[in-house]
Amino acid sequence: MEPLNQSVNMETRRMELRGVIRLASEVIAQYWPMRTFVHHNPLHSLEYLPFEETVTRGKQFLGGNGYLPSERYRHYLRVGRIQAHHMKAAVAPLARNEYATIGLHRVSHGKVLRACLAEGLCAPTEDPLDARWEHDPYHQLDASIADRLETVLPNPNLDARVRGLVHCDQASLGQWMTLSHWCDQALGTTVVDQINRELIKWCGAFLDEGHATWTMPGREQGLYLAWKALAVHEWSPCGISDSRRKISGLPDYPEDALLESLDALGIPANLRQNYLSLQLTALPGWAGFIKWRSEERDYEWQRAYPVEVVKYLAIRLWYVRELVRQTCREELGIEGTYQSVTDYMRQRSKEYFLRRERVAGRLPAIYAEDVDRLRHQRTQGWDDLYERYRSDVAPRQLRVARHGAAKQLRSLALALQLDPATLMTTAPDELVRLVEWMKTFPESDHGPVWLKAFEAGYQERLLGALARSPVAPPPSDVKPELKRPHSQSVFCIDVRSEPFRRHLESSGANDTYGFAGFFAALIRYRAWGKEHDTEQFPVIMRAKNEVREIPRSYLDSIVSKHGARTRMVHAGHTLLHDLKENVVTPYVMMESVGWFYGLPIIGKTFLPSLYRRWTNWLQRLFVPSISTTLTIDKLAPADTAEMLMAEQQATIRQALQERTSLRSSQITPALIEALRQWALSGDVEPDAALVSAAPQAGLSAKALTIFVTVLRQDYGINPRSASRQKERITRTGFTLDEQVLTMDTVLRIMGLTRQFARLVLFCAHGSTSENNPFESALDCGACGGNEGKPNARVLAMMANNQKVRERLAKNGLVIPSDTHFLAGQVDTTTDAVQLFDLEDAPTTHRADIARLTQNLHEASRLTSLERCTRFPDIAEPLPAPESIAHVRRRSVDWSQVRPEWGLSSNASIVIGRRDLTKGIDLGGRVFLQSYDYREDPSSRLLEVLMTGPQVVAQWINMEHYFSTVDNEVYGSGSKIYHNVVGRFGIMSGPWSDLRLGLALQTVMNGEVPYHEPMRLLSIIEAPREQIVKLIGRHEVLRHFYHNEWVHLVALEPEEGIFYRYRPTGEWVKTDSGAGV
Amino acid sequence: MINPMLTPWFVAAVPLLGALLGLSIWSQPEKLKTWSVTVTLGSLLAVLLSFFTLTGSTEGLLFVLLLPLAASVSLLGQPVHRDHRLTWVVTLVFLGMGLGILTLPSPIGSIALALLLGFITFLLYWHHDPFWGPSWLGIGTYGLGTLCAGIAAMTGSAIASLLACMILLPLVPFHHGYVAALTRLPGSLPSFTVLLLPAIGLHKLAALIPPVSELETLPVIVLALSGALYAAIKALAQSRVRLLLTYGSLSFFSLLWWCVAASRTVTPQAAVFLGSLALVTAGLLLAWQVIRTRYGDDVDPRAISGLAAQMPQFAVLISVLALAAMGLPPFGVFVGFMGLLFASPLTLSIAPFVVAITWLAASWYILDLVQGLLFGRKRPDLRYEDVRQSEFASLLIVVMIMFALGLAPTNLFEGTPRSTDTGAIMESVSWNR
Repeated sequence: MEPLNQSVNMETRRMELRGVIRLASEVIAQYWPMRTFVHHNPLHSLEYLPFEETVTRGKQFLGGNGYLPSERYRHYLRVGRIQAHHMKAAVAPLARNEYATIGLHRVSHGKVLRACLAEGLCAPTEDPLDARWEHDPYHQLDASIADRLETVLPNPNLDARVRGLVHCDQASLGQWMTLSHWCDQALGTTVVDQINRELIKWCGAFLDEGHATWTMPGREQGLYLAWKALAVHEWSPCGISDSRRKISGLPDYPEDALLESLDALGIPANLRQNYLSLQLTALPGWAGFIKWRSEERDYEWQRAYPVEVVKYLAIRLWYVRELVRQTCREELGIEGTYQSVTDYMRQRSKEYFLRRERVAGRLPAIYAEDVDRLRHQRTQGWDDLYERYRSDVAPRQLRVARHGAAKQLRSLALALQLDPATLMTTAPDELVRLVEWMKTFPESDHGPVWLKAFEAGYQERLLGALARSPVAPPPSDVKPELKRPHSQSVFCIDVRSEPFRRHLESSGANDTYGFAGFFAALIRYRAWGKEHDTEQFPVIMRAKNEVREIPRSYLDSIVSKHGARTRMVHAGHTLLHDLKENVVTPYVMMESVGWFYGLPIIGKTFLPSLYRRWTNWLQRLFVPSISTTLTIDKLAPADTAEMLMAEQQATIRQALQERTSLRSSQITPALIEALRQWALSGDVEPDAALVSAAPQAGLSAKALTIFVTVLRQDYGINPRSASRQKERITRTGFTLDEQVLTMDTVLRIMGLTRQFARLVLFCAHGSTSENNPFESALDCGACGGNEGKPNARVLAMMANNQKVRERLAKNGLVIPSDTHFLAGQVDTTTDAVQLFDLEDAPTTHRADIARLTQNLHEASRLTSLERCTRFPDIAEPLPAPESIAHVRRRSVDWSQVRPEWGLSSNASIVIGRRDLTKGIDLGGRVFLQSYDYREDPSSRLLEVLMTGPQVVAQWINMEHYFSTVDNEVYGSGSKIYHNVVGRFGIMSGPWSDLRLGLALQTVMNGEVPYHEPMRLLSIIEAPREQIVKLIGRHEVLRHFYHNEWVHLVALEPEEGIFYRYRPTGEWVKTDSGAGV
Repeated sequence: MINPMLTPWFVAAVPLLGALLGLSIWSQPEKLKTWSVTVTLGSLLAVLLSFFTLTGSTEGLLFVLLLPLAASVSLLGQPVHRDHRLTWVVTLVFLGMGLGILTLPSPIGSIALALLLGFITFLLYWHHDPFWGPSWLGIGTYGLGTLCAGIAAMTGSAIASLLACMILLPLVPFHHGYVAALTRLPGSLPSFTVLLLPAIGLHKLAALIPPVSELETLPVIVLALSGALYAAIKALAQSRVRLLLTYGSLSFFSLLWWCVAASRTVTPQAAVFLGSLALVTAGLLLAWQVIRTRYGDDVDPRAISGLAAQMPQFAVLISVLALAAMGLPPFGVFVGFMGLLFASPLTLSIAPFVVAITWLAASWYILDLVQGLLFGRKRPDLRYEDVRQSEFASLLIVVMIMFALGLAPTNLFEGTPRSTDTGAIMESVSWNR
């Protein structure tokens, strides 16, 4: 019974550990592969906490700042971007009803806090630099005030400080600080760095997705076992002694290894979750990618090479335990366990204090040398050194602190426009009170206040502008006769669509609408000639249907020619790649054809536009593009069977070519079909037809049997795979019901249910840039970081389907027979618009299309002109032709770090009719989702919008927010140092964590943020009671509004008044959009 | 036109008078600093005006040009603070005395040297630190130097002169004074004395070394080579910047001793080497002063990092200075040392190894120092401010002089040898034998 009990006990512990790990990994965000870059909140998992608390957690775990530096906010205050009354309102909740007296003046607590904010009085004040340059005319006064403070300012003695430090560090250990981090902090080692380097090495090799020429062996066993198998051959990694024996002795289960390490480190059970969180946040990029992979079970690389967070932690904790133990033994002569370290801090507190001060660089040079000497000699002079420090340095530090306080007081008096000399006549108690007020409002607490004031300014302006537009719509039963527009265009809600829509509307009688760029078509799409699908939908959703791009039926001969040439190009690429990556061939290759590479280098560097045109021309010449269509409709059962059979036959043909030496002429259709039937039947013996066909093909009965086994096992020709294939094929296309539902939903959400124009354009968006690993960040986020072209084509095709229209008409949504739907795509880098499937347009609409094309060109020109005014490298406004040329050049320039600003500067989402925002220049900062509450009495559609597009907008907003406030931690740093790793992510330089978030150049204009980091302002035109119901129904919405991740403002339609939703659940009326 | 006999007096009087007049604006530190810098520039002008009437030893007149420049950059690199007023005035006094020693004939020059060493001894005693043991050694060494200079001035003793030279142009084991001067003297004095004293030492040595026989130079060569190794190892072991720079320069000065002793002559290349080495050390001391101005005199250099991004101008200047200090072309240290090597017979086969080790060690500790300061993480608790105008000017001038010394033809600084001096010394050496 004993072994059984042990086994059950072990399994229980494993289960328990998995639960702890799941909670521990909440603190890190998922990391999507960069080819489908997904904007997301880096602290998404903590959205159940209030915004401010999450920021604090981010600081503790990741070391990231949650707000801009106070100096930046002060700059905004000086230039008027932050208004004084907004700052006052933001400070108000913190201000107490208390007063202090300076001379004859009474000063309120709130006024002092405002002065602290505006003048930065709470920042460290005493610097040797200030003292030495003698530019301060108040030097004498400061000294006098400092003297007055000497008797009244509390003087914490050194022993109390040491006790405080020890207490604080004991409390932090395991909670906010790992043992390895403690070693680095107290002993000056680089344990964390050493471990990180090891983990980066192993993760980089294991997670590779086809980048490496020589891949890591044994990956199919999973990360932990693959590491174990290889690391056992390493010679003393990180200087760990006897590492081979230790690694080979590790358990086979990663959970067991992790538990063993946690036990060895002696981490108490109540701290384990936090402790593992801290371990994960040491490399949040790699851990985030592993977290994403472990949750994507169907991801092909995950299926092939499984990885999980527990495996990662098992490896990491092994290094931690070994290095901590070794370091603690060598440096302190103690075991590297939680208990021994806390005991050390308590029992040898003076030594600990001096060591820690030494590592932090706070000891004077002579003391630092003494600490080093004691450390190396291992003598017992710590107490003497501490006493010397107490008598020599501590009094100096007190003097500096007093002088700093005096300087703060003097600056405060100046900020309050009082004569600083009055401080000499102020009662010392009052001075102490003022110092205390400033001390209890440190710079680290200013961020939330500044942010509120900063947001208030923008909100006031935006709501003020919206309030000036005619907001009240006509009642739903009144249908005014409007003039039919020339066209109606539906754009993505992306903020980049806003200027384009504005200009398109101004260029003619064109109406525009906003809808999330996937246009409610949740499709998995495979372009013609491609081997992989793309997921054309937001990452928070799942695909229901598959769509394939296929050549049009009349292109038979051209298709085969196209296919052949594409294969030739592909083979050429593969050959070049192999020659480059081989061990021997690069030497020969460089000598012989290396100089050919000079041509693209010269072309891309000196004549990027011309080079791009030339290469495009060459490509068209060699592989001409072909006209395609999409598989929109579902296949009939017979067609499905036929397609399945064709796919299986193609696979068998390929297998015969690869695994046998048969000539093409010997591989007959009859043989293939016979093999297929046998493989699928599951019979052991072949049928007679095959037995007779095989000798003609030169195959023995035994070879046949072996080959069929291979077919079943390696090529998936078996009943189970066939069933899966069939299921996949049946997912292709949409049923009529699905098409009708999709169209109905899209049109009704937007309020496009009457007054259809002769042309309706679904305009997706994509982008063009060179040498940009983050290219997909510029594409459509709603389409999973891909171009939205397939979705637009799908929607247009559905809408042009007569059967769909008939069914829609039955639902009361009548689309006139002369309305034709078009698909298009705007390139957000060049502003050029491309229309698709024009050959399907009726000839009667040629003039309409020509007019729309002209208007699109005009809108494109105006948008380029507007965008060029925002690029930092353009000092003077460019004339129109030059601006068009400029944006095109940016898109092909491989040295351009900022091909476009992307979604930077986004700040708000408006869910409502276009009439609310029409004609207002929103500066490309607002997501515009069309919504007509009159079409949605049950608020079913609003629910979709609040839990769909709004969530996506919030992710984008938060990604930009955090990447701006701390680009090093939450962003990905400068693009200059980016290196692609494993085809899924980037590192800075050759060796770093996977970089999260956006690049520095995407959000910053030099040192100044281009993106103003603010939380999303969500403005919804809908009755408040409907919104409240939805908030009550969805947790995600409660988190957004109650935890202050998103500011919600409702426009009460019947009243035309804006109401702000408070975190407490109340609605507060705003006039023309007051700020905080 | 000034009488050529009076020219040295004129050159020496300008800074001394300037120091005297500076006392009238003692209460206004900013004005006093500006005045002091102006006086050093005035001295330079005076030297240039009387350049062709001055006579010099075989090492030429390079030092009389460099001394006002070194004083000027030393003053520019200091922050304006009332605590530094004394060092500014003393710098001018030292400049005047230094120019006098280099240009005035014996025995006046020798008396001035004794006075100068006595003054430095007094200053070292004044700034004596009871916690720092080698402080007494330094005071003692310069006390000995004062005595030797006095004896030499009075008796013309070659041994006393040679000892004084070993203390001025530091040679192990007489290097403690130099170490103390560079680490204990306040304000602008270390960065000035790093040129002043060795320059005077070489100047005196130029007259002293030619008559000495090959055999008699052997102990000096042994001392020089072992001193170079010792100083390089000491520099490698230092964590404090001023000590590191002091021992680093000491190892190179030891190489200079080896070259001079081996060739028994002081060439203009030796002067270029010494001038470049002293100036680049002064530049690095000034760069360290920039850090001390910001983070306190007792700042631990290992606690400062990440300056490259925060203080880009400083980063560029200190990097260039480091390259020059490591002896890379086209700076003066490289050119001067190459010139010395070509002129020196390799009397000991071990010498090239010592030279190589010294050079490699310098590459290690200087690069390590600069790398530690410039790269690594930015500390959030520190305020970073790039060099101010005068600090920038001071470092830039040093860099430009380093370029000039590396690129200018050496004979540009050659002066007319002062035959009388050499004759007197030769006589005394013969007499001593």
